[in-house]
Amino acid sequence: MSSSLRLQMRLAVRNLIRQRRRTLLSGAAMVVGMALLVFSRALAEGGHEDWIDAGVRLGSGHVSIQAPEYRRQRTLEHRLTNDDRLAVDAGLAEPGVAQRLVAEAPRLAVQGLASSASSALPVGVTGVDPTAEQGFSLLPERLEAGRYLEPDDRLHAYVGARLAERLDLEPGDRFVLTAQDASGEIVGQMARVVGTFRTGIPEADEALIQIPLRTAQEWLGVPGAVTSIDLLLESSRAVRPVLASLETALGEGSSTVVPLDWREAQPELDAAVRMDDWADYVFHTILFGIAALAIINTILMSVMQRTREFGVLRALGLRRAEVGRLVFTEGMLLTIVSGLTGMLLGLAVVWLFFRDGLDFSSLMREEMTAAGVVIDPVIVPRFHPTQIAQSLFFILSIGILASIYPAWRATRIDVAEAMKFAE
Amino acid sequence: MDEKPGWRIGWRNLGRNRRRTWITASGLALGYVAVVVMSGLAGGLVAEMVDNGTGILTGQLQVHSAEYLPDRNLYATVGGRDGVDVETLVRAVASVPEVAAATPRVFGAGLVSTGSATVAGVLMGVDVELEPAVSRILTTLRDGELPRAGHNEILIGSEMANQVAAGPGDTVVLVAPAGDGSLGNDLFVVSGVFETTLTDLDLAWAIAPIDALQTLLALPAGRIHEVAARVDDPWAASDAARAVNAALTEVLGDDLDAEARAWTEFRPEMVDYARLTESMQWVLLVIIFGMAIFGVANTLLMSSFERRKEFALLLALGARPSMIAGSVLAEAVSLAALSLLAGVALAVPILVWWHTAPPDVSWLYGGFTMSGGLMRPILRVEYPWSMLGLTGVSLFFTATVAAVLPAIRSARIPPADTLSGR
Amino acid sequence: MKLPLCSVTANRIAFRSGLLGSAGLALVFLTAPTLAPAARGQAVDRPPPDATPSEIVDYVDRLMRGESSTGEVLMEVLTENWGREMRMTVSSLGTEYALVRILEPKKDAGTATLKSGTEIWNYLPKVDRTIKIPASLMSASWMGSHFTNDDLVKESRLVEDYDITIEYDGSRDGVDVWEFVLIPRPEAPVVWGSIRYQVRKDDLMPVWARYHDEDGSLMRTLTFGDFRTFGDRLVPATMRMVPEDDPGEYTEVRYENLEFDVDLAPDDFSLRQLRARN
Repeated sequence: MSSSLRLQMRLAVRNLIRQRRRTLLSGAAMVVGMALLVFSRALAEGGHEDWIDAGVRLGSGHVSIQAPEYRRQRTLEHRLTNDDRLAVDAGLAEPGVAQRLVAEAPRLAVQGLASSASSALPVGVTGVDPTAEQGFSLLPERLEAGRYLEPDDRLHAYVGARLAERLDLEPGDRFVLTAQDASGEIVGQMARVVGTFRTGIPEADEALIQIPLRTAQEWLGVPGAVTSIDLLLESSRAVRPVLASLETALGEGSSTVVPLDWREAQPELDAAVRMDDWADYVFHTILFGIAALAIINTILMSVMQRTREFGVLRALGLRRAEVGRLVFTEGMLLTIVSGLTGMLLGLAVVWLFFRDGLDFSSLMREEMTAAGVVIDPVIVPRFHPTQIAQSLFFILSIGILASIYPAWRATRIDVAEAMKFAE
Repeated sequence: MDEKPGWRIGWRNLGRNRRRTWITASGLALGYVAVVVMSGLAGGLVAEMVDNGTGILTGQLQVHSAEYLPDRNLYATVGGRDGVDVETLVRAVASVPEVAAATPRVFGAGLVSTGSATVAGVLMGVDVELEPAVSRILTTLRDGELPRAGHNEILIGSEMANQVAAGPGDTVVLVAPAGDGSLGNDLFVVSGVFETTLTDLDLAWAIAPIDALQTLLALPAGRIHEVAARVDDPWAASDAARAVNAALTEVLGDDLDAEARAWTEFRPEMVDYARLTESMQWVLLVIIFGMAIFGVANTLLMSSFERRKEFALLLALGARPSMIAGSVLAEAVSLAALSLLAGVALAVPILVWWHTAPPDVSWLYGGFTMSGGLMRPILRVEYPWSMLGLTGVSLFFTATVAAVLPAIRSARIPPADTLSGR
Repeated sequence: MKLPLCSVTANRIAFRSGLLGSAGLALVFLTAPTLAPAARGQAVDRPPPDATPSEIVDYVDRLMRGESSTGEVLMEVLTENWGREMRMTVSSLGTEYALVRILEPKKDAGTATLKSGTEIWNYLPKVDRTIKIPASLMSASWMGSHFTNDDLVKESRLVEDYDITIEYDGSRDGVDVWEFVLIPRPEAPVVWGSIRYQVRKDDLMPVWARYHDEDGSLMRTLTFGDFRTFGDRLVPATMRMVPEDDPGEYTEVRYENLEFDVDLAPDDFSLRQLRARN
């Protein structure tokens, strides 16, 4: 049995080599198709992950740990106390979480009023840890004037550019924040603008202020407390395992601390991303279809050409099934070899030339929002093991599809008629 | 020998091996369909975004006093402090051909309260007769009925209704700073609850008849804040704005404090997205036809290889090489034509179907907002006119390019050697 | 990222129109009808001749404070868009309780605001309803006037927030005055860059206060006048605030009646009292 297989293989290989032109053509189609597919998938995955990344980095991270009622009613009443934070720290130390954690940002967020000598506006104030934010949020990167908050800052505020304009504030100017503290009293806090940011998102630029966490805690009379602990993970695919670990560590159905998936914490981003997923899926299916057809086409035709040859083989004694198997083997060999080559070519091209990203900025204006996230014109392709698995699956299925029909046709050859076939 | 037979031989050759022709043509045709349908879907996405972003509430064109935005200054009424003849104004706006309908609106910022629960919100006064022709907000009514003109009735958003625990038939207090500096307040009956699924609107908007709101805000009937208009072809809105400004000057004078703006001005991010989508289509085209080239090239190489003895014979008989090349090209072009026909035959019904009755794919994903417009989960398609032509051209181009190599090789066949079997 | 946009949007819109006059009202008259909030404790005794600038300013600042007070006020506001005159009664108890009721104009008569602890309530006679105002809906300008929350809500005293020095000691228009410069302490929650205060030497009555931003630009001027004795105190019965950017606009507050340390208890600041017609 195996010797017959080896014979088949040798025959298949020889045949392929013999018909260089046909082999190269069909092979080329497969190589290019695979390369394109790999490239396109990596790009799509990169774009997709970028979008999620930007969305969670401007929002509440891949996972947001909050008090259970906070999602419904975002007030100081539903905050995490120091004890809660200790429990969370323990949870974050779990290996299942720690190895996937990129950044962790504690935040204390309230609604309040910002007043300057000229005017006053309602704002959302977030007390943050500047070091944590540097590794987490996009806001520090969107600096327009001044500088971002630093660890030793106390009375400094990082303010949206449009807000600053409206209040007639520049870096260095003083203003006052007023809000209700934990007991309901209205309390004021002085701050100086240390820097301004511009994200391109009006809701952020007109209404967001970041101040140091400790300052916010003192101001609002809640030492050590936060309204959320936001986590940034290595990629969105890490969310599920991390959530599982956290839920176990924090106690299933905990009454004081609950970890939320970004899809729950930011439902609009979720919907937008799912739509993107779907559009990708459709596109790649079509690409797959086109590529498959091109390849099947070429292999089929090359087989058709060799009718006479098969007739001769039959006349020489090869059984129908064996002829069929031979054709099948040739087809599979060709697609697998060229498919793998194409895949490797695609991977190499992406890695060598586009590792740093593909710049689409000429196609876009400077700022654009979709689901509240400004789209980054540079897309960095990303690989993932599932892509490889899918590519292999693709290669195999094309191989099978492209080889089955010709193989079947080959078994159907009438010896006498075939001999008449002029090549 | 003249050229013509070369062409006939070419396209007739398609018939020689029907299966091969069929497979190759279907590859090209499917490529065509894919590109065209995907362009249509992308166009549909943009149209949906624009339609919902402007059609639910804002309208495609708005007229305001120069001072009104961005603060929504209560006192900056259209035409200044003295107001205007609202009917004349609205008619003037609607008189412009691109404008399908226009309606006046009044805005105030206030509190809606049931006593123990109070919510701050935007109070919008609308003309209940004219409003439905311009925006869809009134169609999002979920419970109860629409408010009636001349009555202190109000339509509130579903989230607001939750927060104040009020439903149709309940009485609420509306409190808002009025135009004379006093604190306007009055009782309104909740006539109904609306739900747009956009949290911003559902939580913070309350809609009352324009006269009732003007009374609350101590504004006389001639003082309004906005005229909103519907322009059916959203991309004609800029032109419409220009025309409206001209009409206003003509009808109401030069120094009227009123300015018309199209949605493209107050929602530039949607324009951006539309442009981005358009440019992505080129990428699509290149990818798909890049793949298709292989199929065609292979076919032609095969078939010309098959026919090398024929070509050799023709050459030996005195045919010019260009005729042979022409024949191969003809085959390619005919193949392209065939594919195009098939492609169009397949694509057009799909486009028409999805344009007139877009299938629902809400099982795949719920609605979401993009650039402020709610996207419904349907496969909406806008006819991609330019893409239909462009893709067709690409198809021919692909086929022709694929034919170049085979054509040249065929023309270069050494007649004697070939005929003798080498 | 969508912020809880709704509340931000609504707030800023509500805010923009100077809403929450009612809430502001209560906050204004947090204690006594001075435009500086209630201080703990009594008014200060008149300072001795060798008093420091801080002591002098502190005295002036707390001129109109007491454990409790009640009075009648006339407020006139003129803005670009409208002009209004209102007569109100005001009572306060410490910093916890305040009740303001509008007497005139007739159409607003009976409108009242109650501050009780951290809650603020509004009574609207026209619809005969009481509504609770969430204190998170704060406005900078109350009742569309030119006074801000800062003027009204603050618990602290000038001497706590500012370093006070004398800039001028001499005669102005034949009157001996001091002109003080108040520079905010580095962490004081105040928006001004500096405040200049002119006070008459003989009776320690404030004449004017000028508010500057940190660049030194004058933002608004508060003028005091009509010095009268209420009970046993001499106070400026009239105060007028004029914004620098819109000189045609102003807000003037005039006390017609004022009593300090009256017999008031928390019961007098109940919801029932809110709805009473007198």
